[in-house]
Amino acid sequence: MSIVPKETVEVIAQSMGINNLTPDAALALAPDVEYRMREIMQEAIKCMNHSRRTTLTTDDIDSALKLRNVEPIYGFASGDPLRFRRALGHKDLFYIDDKDVDFKDVIEAPLPKAPLDTSIVCHWLAIEGVQPAIPENAPVEAITAPPETNKAEQKESELPVDIKLPVKHVLSRELQLYFNKITELTLSRSDLVLFKEALVSLATDSGLHPLVPYFTCFIADEVARGLTEFNVLFALMRVVWSLLQNPHIRVEPYLHQLMPSVVTCLVAKRLGNRLADNHWELRDFTANLVAFICRKFGHVYNSLQSRLTKTLLNAFLDPKRAMTQHYGAIQGLAALGPNVVRLLILPNLEAYLKLLEPEMLFENQKNELKRYEAWRVYGALLRAAGQSIYDKLKLFPPLASPPAHVVLRPNARVITSNLTNKHTASTANTDDMDMEHQSPLKKVALEGAIVPVSNNSSPHDMEVEARLPDSSGASEASPPSSLQTPNENNKSSEGRKDRGENESLRMRALLNQTWKEDLKSGQLLAKLYEQFGERIFSFIPTPELELFL
Amino acid sequence: MDEEEIEKVVLAYLKKKGLKQTELAFQEEQQQVKNNADPDVSKQVISLTEPDNVPEQYEDGYCKLRAWTYSSLDLYKHELLRILYPVFVHCFMDLVAKGHIQEARAFFNKFREDHEMMHLRDLQKLEGVLSPSHLEEMEFAHSLRQSKVNIKICQYSYDLMMQYLHKSQSITMLGIINEHINFQVSPGQPISLSDDTEVVTLVGSGQDTANLINQKEIHWGLLEDSVEERLEKTLLSDTEKAEGETKEGESEENKKRSIEGGKQGTSLKKLKKDKVVSAAAKAAKTEGNVSAAPRVKPELSLPVIPTEVEYSILDDLRNRVQLSNVALPSVSFYTFLNTHNGLNCSAISHDGSLLAGGFSDSSLKVWDMALLGQQTDNSILPEENESARSAAGTNSGKRSYTLYRGHSGPVYSAAFSPFGDFLLSSSSDSTIRLWSTKLNANLVCYKGHNYPVWDVKFSPAGHYFASASHDRTARIWSMDRIQPLRIMAGHLSDVDCVQWHANCNYIATGSSDKTVRLWDVQNGECVRIFIGHRSMILSLAMSPDGRYMASGDEDGTIMMWDLSSGRCVTPLVGHSTCVWTLDYSCEGSLLASGSADCTVKLWDVTSSTARVPKSEENKTGSTTNRLRSLKTLPTKSTPVHALKFSRRNLLFAAGPISANGSTY
Repeated sequence: MSIVPKETVEVIAQSMGINNLTPDAALALAPDVEYRMREIMQEAIKCMNHSRRTTLTTDDIDSALKLRNVEPIYGFASGDPLRFRRALGHKDLFYIDDKDVDFKDVIEAPLPKAPLDTSIVCHWLAIEGVQPAIPENAPVEAITAPPETNKAEQKESELPVDIKLPVKHVLSRELQLYFNKITELTLSRSDLVLFKEALVSLATDSGLHPLVPYFTCFIADEVARGLTEFNVLFALMRVVWSLLQNPHIRVEPYLHQLMPSVVTCLVAKRLGNRLADNHWELRDFTANLVAFICRKFGHVYNSLQSRLTKTLLNAFLDPKRAMTQHYGAIQGLAALGPNVVRLLILPNLEAYLKLLEPEMLFENQKNELKRYEAWRVYGALLRAAGQSIYDKLKLFPPLASPPAHVVLRPNARVITSNLTNKHTASTANTDDMDMEHQSPLKKVALEGAIVPVSNNSSPHDMEVEARLPDSSGASEASPPSSLQTPNENNKSSEGRKDRGENESLRMRALLNQTWKEDLKSGQLLAKLYEQFGERIFSFIPTPELELFL
Repeated sequence: MDEEEIEKVVLAYLKKKGLKQTELAFQEEQQQVKNNADPDVSKQVISLTEPDNVPEQYEDGYCKLRAWTYSSLDLYKHELLRILYPVFVHCFMDLVAKGHIQEARAFFNKFREDHEMMHLRDLQKLEGVLSPSHLEEMEFAHSLRQSKVNIKICQYSYDLMMQYLHKSQSITMLGIINEHINFQVSPGQPISLSDDTEVVTLVGSGQDTANLINQKEIHWGLLEDSVEERLEKTLLSDTEKAEGETKEGESEENKKRSIEGGKQGTSLKKLKKDKVVSAAAKAAKTEGNVSAAPRVKPELSLPVIPTEVEYSILDDLRNRVQLSNVALPSVSFYTFLNTHNGLNCSAISHDGSLLAGGFSDSSLKVWDMALLGQQTDNSILPEENESARSAAGTNSGKRSYTLYRGHSGPVYSAAFSPFGDFLLSSSSDSTIRLWSTKLNANLVCYKGHNYPVWDVKFSPAGHYFASASHDRTARIWSMDRIQPLRIMAGHLSDVDCVQWHANCNYIATGSSDKTVRLWDVQNGECVRIFIGHRSMILSLAMSPDGRYMASGDEDGTIMMWDLSSGRCVTPLVGHSTCVWTLDYSCEGSLLASGSADCTVKLWDVTSSTARVPKSEENKTGSTTNRLRSLKTLPTKSTPVHALKFSRRNLLFAAGPISANGSTY
């Protein structure tokens, strides 16, 4: 009824020594209290206005009380701003801290510095209507917009003119229409054929550059608006992909705006709000997208990849994050290449698997969906690890194999790995019991596989580089120095092509030696095979498989 | 339903309402004519006899009316929408009056949003009304209950509404509308939305009275035989002689400069330059501007201007810079430092040589700019300064200002006499004090008001002054009497500001009741009511030709009024918050406004007034005309408290710098 609750009236009555105030009286008083308060405030505002102020002070309240012939409230007259404290346990209750002050302290305290006396300074605010640029006047920069329009207004006729702020960026009508059409298509996805056409257009058309800031803005806005619309998110990522493909567009200046949205689509906890939404697919797609961005712009922005990997690693290593987020992070890291996997994932694998395994077991995780998610993550990890091993292993034996072979195999791998994923997915339930026994062994196996791999990672890095000329056709391979001095190798690899085929034999010998040194890892692969069965095949080049088997 | 039953019901109703005569007449008539009552009527009557105090009726009725209004034809919608607000307010007050406080509050909160845009401040006031006794106590509510609201409406809208009310049988609404709304039905098309400024305020006194008052004749012309007029005559008679006079004037000017200090001196040089350029044009222009105004005789016996003062005025007039929308004035800004949030008001003398500040610690401080200039630059005419210092030195001691002590409460207003030798101050202690700037002493204390005196102003001729107070009156005083000569009562709330008309025959007062009134000084009658502001009036200014008035309010709106018609010429929107001060340039071509938003704005007045005759012809007002904002001069976080055009059209401004933006 009144904004003053009757409890307040009762409390005040008690504080004044009236203990037997009936609830009815309190109820009747409350509206009147409110009315009086409003009246005082109204008068106080008048006093404030006549004091030429726009903030209400305690003085104004006192003046208002005086106007109403009420004793002013004492104790608030000091010029200091009032410090309100919040009462413990009450959200909206504030009070003023009233400290006890010892008279002795006050008397003995040195006199405060006298406040400065009022004085006047005089300056020209304007000379014949123009403000001189002197320190007393407001800086010109801060006020550029209004004066400019004023000047423009003065020049024009005497008619009143509406002030329009200048538009900096003018888009042609066609571009606006194009933009509207694309955004509409992206959001509605009503016509898939047309949308595909639109994506092709985005990826190939020249002259879209003026729209890039709008598209980045659009994408950022839409992603920020919500992660529930799976289809829209996927469509947005496709738009990003197309924009990146377009050779006529420079996306670099807008990357900082794009990246957060893209990474969000990779490692967000939930993408889409329905079970049917295949957010794994979206994550895979986005992982590739991220990797593509890193490859394309990594040289322009040195910090791009490091920042990205940091974000992903954080998501990967935080046990509190959801499985979906881990999956996204692993996929993202894996997409960045085997080196990243070796450097960032494999060292953390042991600890991570410890966390992951309970989640995959039927006993520990009754929620089927969660278990499925855990298996998904496991699959991603397996693929990432396997990929890096494959990347390492493939260097040795097939040196002489034709490039076509190398090209073919990744395809095969992709297919099979998909199969394995499906396999894990479909057999997740049935495999539970088996895996329960297998998993510790498998873990050992994985660890075993990893240790030598990470030990030898640097020379193999070099060999990756060295393989580039190799695959170009000639039977050239890494120089002999590759094992000892990687840095030298870097330099010398430039001129390697010239050395001819004499060296090839020697190199082969050396590589065989390397191979022997890495026999351990070969053995580990054999163990892996025992653990994973068919699944690990896909990561191991055929010749080696034969060798192991 | 039986005939008899109906009769019983009717009788019961009449008895209940205590309408004895009607009852008798009814009975008589009943006996005379024993014919059937219309069943429709009977239904209505029955609904009337139902217990009156059913709050749902109000809410329901208002709800329906609102829904109907919102779905009405677009063409007539805005007219019908106007009805909603008075109905809403009266529904609320009826509910309160009948003691349904809870329901009243619920009703108020439910529909308040609809009216917040137009009537926020009224709603804030009404919100506090929580018991029938408040209704009686609160002036605003009381006057609303007492009077009828005038609403202009076209014939068709009126028919539509009446049809609806009868069909829907919402007797409650019909009752409220009949009781509190006075329709002015006009044939033809609905009035355009933007045109009607009166819709903004529900005037307690009623639009009728306002209109009636605004019928009265006023003589807004300038005084006969003023100094300006004489100057024109001399200018016309011999322009070649003027050259010689200006030479003389220059020597005068040098003397003057010594008084006004260094800053003023430099500006005078500039003024002189301008003067030579515009000398010829000036004569023609002053004729076009000022002398076009009709002349009137003074109603008060005005003091005689001393010859030496007259001479200096003439000199100033000759050296006046002609301002227009292409020739903007120079602005000299006086900034108060270290006011510790205590500066309440400031005043600038006619030539800018004196600056007064009224403080909340009851002190009044006056700075002499000549002395201030001397502190910074001693080279200018030392012998003159010597004498000035000896005059002021007795009181000021070490300070840079002269301290006037006497008030016992915050000083809310200060005003210099037209010739700068007296200073008036008004305070929260309900007194007005007269100080002599020559003697640095308090001369008179005027006690008459019962509450804080918000504003005080000297008449343009001096000697007389007007004050405005919280006691809802404005008073006219003369310097030689301690009792007021006239008391102007009529405002419904505090009188916040006061301003003299150029011919000294009228004063204008602005009030918290959101109206401006014009009063005849001779007979103390209210001759004009200007309605249109949406919040408290803070500042007033009269144009030098006496024809227009400008008023500024708390929301930052400035309105320019035509005194003779009582209509708003044009609202000026630009300031974002309180307009503390307004002043017209001396020939009336520019209006300067100073605001709490730390800007001085210059408005072109001539462009809007030029179109006034046109708008008067078709009687549609002039909302399409907007005064042009010529220039915005922002300060460095200094709210502008006072503005003053000197006679030579140099603009002085004053304000306290706020240490950081947040304190203001």
